[in-house]
Amino acid sequence: MPFLSLRDVTKAYAGVPALRGATLTVEPGEIHALMGENGAGKSTLIKIIAGVVAPDSATIEVDGRSAALDSPAAAHRLGLRFIHQEMNVVPALSVAENIFIGRRYPVRAGILVDWRKLEATAREALARLGITHIDVRRKMARLSIGDQMLVRLSTAFLSEPDAPARLYVMDEPTAALTAEESERLFRALRDIRAAGGSVLYVSHRLDEVMALCDRATVLRDGRSIDSGRLSEITHDDLVAMMIGRKVEEAYPKPASAPSPEMAFVVEGLRAAGIGPLGLAVRKGEILGIAGLANAGQRELLRALFGDLAMSATTIRLGSATYRPGGPHHAWRKGIAYVPRERRSEGLVLSRPIYENVTLAHLVDHSIGGTLLNPRGERRFAASLGDSVRLKARDTGQRALELSGGNQQKVVFARALSGNPRLLLLDEPTRGVDVGAKFDIYTIIREMTAKGMAVILVSSDLPELIGMCDRIAVMRSGSITETVEAHGLTEEALLNRCYGRPAPVAA
Amino acid sequence: MSAVPNLLRRYGTLLGFALVILVFWVNLPETFMTARNWLNITQQLSMLMVVAAGMTIVMVMGDFDLSVGSTASLAGIVVAVLFTAGYPVWAAVSLGLVVGLLVGAFNGVLVSLIGILPFVATLATLTIFSGLAFILSGGKTISGRAIPESFGSFAREGMPLGEWGGVAITLPNLTIVAIVTVLAVWVLLEQTTFGRRLYAIGGNIEAAHLSGVAVRRLKLIAFSLTGGSAALAGIMYASRVASANPTQGSGLMLNAIAAVFLEHDEPRIFATIVGVLILGVLDNGLAQMSVDSYVRQLLVGGIILLAVAASSISRRRR
Repeated sequence: MPFLSLRDVTKAYAGVPALRGATLTVEPGEIHALMGENGAGKSTLIKIIAGVVAPDSATIEVDGRSAALDSPAAAHRLGLRFIHQEMNVVPALSVAENIFIGRRYPVRAGILVDWRKLEATAREALARLGITHIDVRRKMARLSIGDQMLVRLSTAFLSEPDAPARLYVMDEPTAALTAEESERLFRALRDIRAAGGSVLYVSHRLDEVMALCDRATVLRDGRSIDSGRLSEITHDDLVAMMIGRKVEEAYPKPASAPSPEMAFVVEGLRAAGIGPLGLAVRKGEILGIAGLANAGQRELLRALFGDLAMSATTIRLGSATYRPGGPHHAWRKGIAYVPRERRSEGLVLSRPIYENVTLAHLVDHSIGGTLLNPRGERRFAASLGDSVRLKARDTGQRALELSGGNQQKVVFARALSGNPRLLLLDEPTRGVDVGAKFDIYTIIREMTAKGMAVILVSSDLPELIGMCDRIAVMRSGSITETVEAHGLTEEALLNRCYGRPAPVAA
Repeated sequence: MSAVPNLLRRYGTLLGFALVILVFWVNLPETFMTARNWLNITQQLSMLMVVAAGMTIVMVMGDFDLSVGSTASLAGIVVAVLFTAGYPVWAAVSLGLVVGLLVGAFNGVLVSLIGILPFVATLATLTIFSGLAFILSGGKTISGRAIPESFGSFAREGMPLGEWGGVAITLPNLTIVAIVTVLAVWVLLEQTTFGRRLYAIGGNIEAAHLSGVAVRRLKLIAFSLTGGSAALAGIMYASRVASANPTQGSGLMLNAIAAVFLEHDEPRIFATIVGVLILGVLDNGLAQMSVDSYVRQLLVGGIILLAVAASSISRRRR
């Protein structure tokens, strides 16, 4: 009998489905991997297990009995422990206090904190990970990042007699760990398995998963695939499960080939966390940027946009030398930017659509650069809205009332409002439904047909292959290679992202 | 969302305002609803109106300025000190306004360039500007012969509007200044690219920045304008009492913040005016009904809480 079983889980955010009937079962004494591309529904599923998000529908059983995961407290009572992806520690508190965050401190005489017991229990939790070198009385701030991560991991191993831990859910736990520290964690996880406990292990690192886990559940577009025993399948089978989708149909065909003329060239670029690197985009070309999470893609776009201090030996926009000077300067020079987070970075949600569309080039829509001309702005926003296939009641509607896809189209309308020469896109279709995705691809194609150059950062591999002319692969802040997108398989691209030699093609 | 709560949310404060007026009208049938009393109210309110209008500029960006009261005091003192030094009225008043713009710009530098929270930055400058006013004045009230006659009479005079019931009615000069200021702020916030960008900053500072809005520079300008309007209010006050005292603006800050918060979803100049009027009418009516001034404080504070609570609750229901 599985320890935890979730069947037919569905969940939609504002009409956009995140999970469409996914199933996950975790056996006792098993290390189970949860895999999938960004946006496949992993984090939604974890939040449901954690009792943070309520599913639209689901059948949830623990030990074969129907269970309600309606709050974090309920999940905790059932023996579920979570290590979330974000680092959340309180630097000013001691290691022991950090381990006890959110738990009840042991007390003496009813009210006084029993510090000795607190420290002893914290030490015990660390010992479960084989850690003896960290003094539990030290301030968290004085630990290395890796040690901080180990402390965070150890919170899951705190012994709690009233609700013993049964399943440890770990979201990318090794992201900040050295190989040695990771190995320590794996040993602890194997001990848990040997003792009959379960682990749900979320990771992008295929090698880790293949070496550590017994089975995997792969999420794709909100649906789940059971991998079966990982010892019986290959690495490549697993990749195929993660991406297996027909590429050709989802993307509009380019109308014309890129022009030979260079639109944007940068050489010797350095900025915080990235470089030195160089890239070049031709007019009408889409250059993709691939890479694992946090390989420096976001910083690259920010540096090109002038929002991140940088230096470069050469930057040319068209035939002229270009000097980044902040977002305002970039917009004026014809560089447009679609940021990754449309709600927090893209839109002024409380303001109407037309104000969002004209914001980057407001002066062009005003009278003499000073007085507003709302009627003209509305007319402009309506016509641009039509060309990006925006579905809205009227342009006076507030941006927050729109669906994710339509919000993204408003961000696109702004980006296109000044007829830019270079368009910087950061995950432009994340959290966007399929129909709007196709619209956005069509807009990009139409713009490149007019000679606009595009740099497209995406973690969606089929999107990169389907849309781009060439793809630059980023690893640890540098571009390791640039490849023709035509004929590239997702597997080959993924392997390049991981920095592994591609398997010999047949 | 049904229509009735929506209407209540939008016009609830106006409705409350009408109710307050009705109560005073019934209780003070002779004196309250007269042209003279209303003109009197607008004159009493003119300084607060100017400060609150200026405060709206920074509040649109989600910031606020606690130092407006001491900026007003400081400007009044600067003008009076210049009078004693023999400066003509136009020069002294202009320099007083410049001082307001400069101390406002100082707030702007602290908030936008150095990145101190507006609450902390302007709390500190509140004390600094107040200290400056004390040093400049030697801690004394500047009055008497030093203040030119034309400066003191400005506040007492006005534009004749004709006769009503046998009494000459004039629109006080201070009221005119307040109306002009409010109109100027309205144009600035609602009709210019400057105002539009301030609203964008207030709505989402990161999105505004990435859309090319020069956030730092605009904050600097906005704080300067708030300081300038506070100085204007301080000079109006000095004209009204024909003297300057280093503490005379201190009551303005709390009332200005209260007025801006009294009616809001987003701070808009129209809402600010309604807020100021409610405060002013309450004060005027309660005073006429001979309600003790301490009790008045209690009532006004309670009503502010009630209004803000009502708007918070209706927003949460959405």
